[in-house]
Amino acid sequence: MPIVAIGLSHRSCPVDIREKFAFSDAEIPAVLDDLRKRGLVSEAVILSTCNRVELYAVTATADRGTLEQLRNQLAETRSFQQNLGDEFYLYPEPHSLEHLFKVACGLDSMVLGETEILGQLKKAYDLALQHKLTGGRLNKAFQRAFNVAKHLRTSTNIQRGSISVGSAAVELAEKIFSTLADRHVMVLGAGDTSEKTARALLSRGVKSILVSNRSYDRAAALASELGGRAITFDDWFQEFHQIDIVISSTSAPHYILDKPKLQQLLKGRKSRPLLLIDIAVPRDIDPDVNLLESVYLYNIDDLQAIAENYLQQRRQEISKCEAFIREKAQALLAAAGGALAFQPKLSVEVSQA
Amino acid sequence: MTDRQWFLIAVLGYGLSMLHSIFLWRKGFRTADKISYAVIALSFIAHTTAMGVRGFSLSRCPVNNLFEAMMFIMWTLVAAYLVIGLIPKLRFIGAFASPALLAMGVFALMPALDHTPNPDVPRLAALHAAFILLAYGAFGLGSVAAAMYLTEEHDLKVRKTRTILSLLPPIQRLEFVATRMLFIGFAFLTVGLAMAPFLMKDRYGVFFKSDPKITWSVFVWLLYGGLISMRSWFGQGGRKFAWGAVGGFSFVLLTFWGVNLLSKAHQS
Repeated sequence: MPIVAIGLSHRSCPVDIREKFAFSDAEIPAVLDDLRKRGLVSEAVILSTCNRVELYAVTATADRGTLEQLRNQLAETRSFQQNLGDEFYLYPEPHSLEHLFKVACGLDSMVLGETEILGQLKKAYDLALQHKLTGGRLNKAFQRAFNVAKHLRTSTNIQRGSISVGSAAVELAEKIFSTLADRHVMVLGAGDTSEKTARALLSRGVKSILVSNRSYDRAAALASELGGRAITFDDWFQEFHQIDIVISSTSAPHYILDKPKLQQLLKGRKSRPLLLIDIAVPRDIDPDVNLLESVYLYNIDDLQAIAENYLQQRRQEISKCEAFIREKAQALLAAAGGALAFQPKLSVEVSQA
Repeated sequence: MTDRQWFLIAVLGYGLSMLHSIFLWRKGFRTADKISYAVIALSFIAHTTAMGVRGFSLSRCPVNNLFEAMMFIMWTLVAAYLVIGLIPKLRFIGAFASPALLAMGVFALMPALDHTPNPDVPRLAALHAAFILLAYGAFGLGSVAAAMYLTEEHDLKVRKTRTILSLLPPIQRLEFVATRMLFIGFAFLTVGLAMAPFLMKDRYGVFFKSDPKITWSVFVWLLYGGLISMRSWFGQGGRKFAWGAVGGFSFVLLTFWGVNLLSKAHQS
């Protein structure tokens, strides 16, 4: 009995369609059970995230009619009235398995190589498993998918590095400081990106966060959210001596920190490194401060270049990952049935999103 | 084959590893390096064979002259590296260690350093030499950490994205290791040099005698003493301190054999 995959994702349709097919965890067991009772599937797992809704199932046949029937049934369950075209992709073997493996590895994700999807896939599988909606074929397929994801994570660069500004800043900090656990962070300007960057640093255990903003109320609100302390914008100078990392994103039209000012502030630091992250446009920190010993200044372009570099690196890994996935899917099919694995006859036209 | 020929093969191996490390340097240490590790491991076999041949021929531990002492120090450094390198992420250290190993090996192979040991040399002299050689070993390790610091610090300053991709540890940790090694080396050097007046008294009847090696040793002691004083009392870290650690050890490597040959007190 073949494994098929049908679904829609951020690649095949916009959010206004995806949201209509989204399932909550509470709904999924009943939907799967219904599909089984109707005789459409013998095993099934539904993966429902913000970027995709997919059904992996073991069916009696994998012809186009069966796959369309599954799709129509899902549409009926969600009371979806519009005509469906290319929004849904319909994969028979071996594409269904290859797709499952790609999803597990983050190759099909909006953020290439992201790892969150693997957790979501495990959760979806566990849910079906708990309700005894999986069997030998899907169990093996999902276990293999998790193994493939683990292998590719460790043996390739598909999940390596930071591809957001916040996490790139964290990686920089980790290249400078032995540990982030006893570091003090100052956030100048309570903007969205600085908040994300501060949160990324907090997730690595920085010791304290000071927030300063022209509007004290906004500083206090952000400090409260981050578990830090707010200070008035006139006071950040006084607090600077203990700071190791500065995230600056004020809307000041001129530099708020230049070389002479920083030279004064550096007195007594005894070569302690200082990481300055200037994500403001126009910039808050004079580039000349980077000439000072033990001062490391990165602006938004530098951070984006790091993130882009990682993304580029991940893209270069795609073909290697796909080759490995094809090989593993074929091996799984060979173990399950033999001939089909090596001469797959596509009974339906695969709709590539 | 003689022990010196085996050792020469080992030194050539360290040289090969150094050449390969240039490529690693250019690539920014992105991947765990197998080639350097394998070349150093093979060289280590030749190195161990050299030590074995020398030890069996003398029927004692081969640490009786400068050649043997250097060979021994290098052997311990390589053994430490091979153990550390079992963790693939840390194999890049070989790229920094191999130039130092090559320099030390070439230096050790100087014929003048491999003289037949005088059986009448007092035990204190062997201890004096051992402490000072251990000090140079520590300074060598400190300079390796400092060279790593300078590489990474430069990349961070000029915002090379390869910094993030590299396997090098954080610069603050490298600075810590370099500082610690210089402190340890300085302690060994101080203890080793403190024995010198007693050796002089025993041999020449005076506590101090003018000799190029003695003057040089005092200079090296002052050099490293100055470096660690600047670090501990004036907080002078960063690039200047790292350059001091690299420069200090380079000076030792480049001048040690020369002053040793000029020193009458260390010839007999």
